[in-house]
Amino acid sequence: MSKRKSPQELGGYLKFKRWLAGDLDLLEDVTEDAGPAVAPESADRLPARDSALESRRRASEEVYGPEVWPQSHTPGYAQAWRDRIALQKGTGDAQAVLQAQEKSLRFFRAVYKIMAVLLCGAIILVFLWTTVHLPPFGSPDNPANNEVPARYIRHGVEETGATNFVTGMILDYRAFDTFGESCVLFIASCCVQVLLRVDACDGKSAARTRIQQENDRLFEPKNDGILQQTARLLVPLILIFGVYIILNGHLSPGGGFSGGAVLGSGLILYLNAFGFAKTERFFNERIYRRITLCALTFYCLAKSYSFFTGANHLESGIPLGTPGAILSSGLILPLNICVGLVVMGTMYSFYTLFRKGGM
Amino acid sequence: MEWVRYFLAGILLLLGLFLEILAVFGVNKFRKALNRIHAAAIGDTLGILFVFLGCMVLRGFSMDSLKLFLVIAFFWLASPVSGHMISRLEAMTNENLGEIAVVHLDNEGKQEEKDHGSV
Amino acid sequence: MIEQVFGALLIGMMVALGILIIVSIIRSVLGPGISDRIIAVNMIGTIVIMLIALLSVYLDESYLVDVCLIYAMISFLAVVVLCKVYTGVYLQKKQMKADLQAVEDNLKHREEPAGPEEKETN
Repeated sequence: MSKRKSPQELGGYLKFKRWLAGDLDLLEDVTEDAGPAVAPESADRLPARDSALESRRRASEEVYGPEVWPQSHTPGYAQAWRDRIALQKGTGDAQAVLQAQEKSLRFFRAVYKIMAVLLCGAIILVFLWTTVHLPPFGSPDNPANNEVPARYIRHGVEETGATNFVTGMILDYRAFDTFGESCVLFIASCCVQVLLRVDACDGKSAARTRIQQENDRLFEPKNDGILQQTARLLVPLILIFGVYIILNGHLSPGGGFSGGAVLGSGLILYLNAFGFAKTERFFNERIYRRITLCALTFYCLAKSYSFFTGANHLESGIPLGTPGAILSSGLILPLNICVGLVVMGTMYSFYTLFRKGGM
Repeated sequence: MEWVRYFLAGILLLLGLFLEILAVFGVNKFRKALNRIHAAAIGDTLGILFVFLGCMVLRGFSMDSLKLFLVIAFFWLASPVSGHMISRLEAMTNENLGEIAVVHLDNEGKQEEKDHGSV
Repeated sequence: MIEQVFGALLIGMMVALGILIIVSIIRSVLGPGISDRIIAVNMIGTIVIMLIALLSVYLDESYLVDVCLIYAMISFLAVVVLCKVYTGVYLQKKQMKADLQAVEDNLKHREEPAGPEEKETN
């Protein structure tokens, strides 16, 4: 009906919106069909469609690729099934066409493999040859040892208060760069959501059942008992270890990024052992959004003054304390916690986006 | 008297290395995946225990020894579960797993018949 | 003197463990079937944990033991996720094959007596 308007008739912004919502298939004029095609939205209007068949068809689309499938009462339907079976079994005209395509691809594939191996070998050789010519590690007249690191090392501990000097560098002297890195993680998570076309279900049951039928976790083994008992013991351990790494960022190697990764992996283990329903009781999309928002806002308010003061150091009012104690080094501890929370949310959201299509 | 510590640590480390060589040799020698899990589990449990015990003897009573002990505790809890998941994967997805004998016991606990089925 | 001997022993052990890692890599490429490959990769993880512990003794740095613990966690998690996902994919493909077989049987069965309209029944 009116939904099959050609893409040239729509304006640019409206077209983008419809593509985001999944209503627009940009290739619908290009593919050849084996019969009257099913428009993607009109499938909801057919009353006699069997939902189990529908789910299996969608699941087969995910395994074998999308195709235009005719409706069951048209004469093209049986022929389409016969073509599909003939393709699988290797008989019939479809197979001949496929073999002709395969021949031209075979040469390309052979050349590709050889060129890939040669290119990797060349890059490896170049790297090894460069490594031979590097200056010896730690010798005092390396080009990297000039007055800039010397000044940082001389005044580092007394100005930042952090014994682990790398953390003092990234969270005090160069804190604005680290802010950009935390934002990059958040942007990556948003981009994955856009690419997977995650749209908000406003509680409409049709959309929800469609998403549930489309998920490819129908056949996975669920809820292994041994894994559950072990996860009950191990997940608190992993989470505590992650918190330890975050809090110890200014004393020993660790910090926000690695601690956040460990926290995220603890959550993923819990999710694998117990399933999505139990995990969403304490970590769902609302909590993720709020945590990320608060963490990034706090970081921004705490450290973006250097934009306005011309990178000159402003006193933050928090005393530096004795280096080596855990409550020392000013703002570094809260900033580590913020970065750790953002990284934990990002790790978990990547996993669930690729497994479930949403959070 | 330090040589006692080094001697003991050396013995434990070499024992751990020997067990790990046995494990890798076993993984390569067996043909079926379920048998290979048996061989890999030697390295996962005893091999790593002896190596870490050697490191603990070298460090004495300190924070480092406690951390090493924590690694062992975590590993001994987690590694058998890994073996269990791999063997479940193998049992569920391998087409030609071979013959499996099913033994039926009646009420007294004696074997009543032997049933050969293949999976 | 004894420290030097012990240092040489540690280096020798690390080289031996490195050779074991290479053998495991070969097994993970060769092993017919996915379970063999997962076993080999798990074993590589275990050997790397031992290697890092020996390195922490050799270099006398105590923070490397944290790395051991993290590596143990990550390798365990990797095995769990891989097994779950691959079992799901395999069973799904088996279901797809069974579906196609059923449809083919139905079509063949209905073609002999029936006319041009054919419906597929589950």
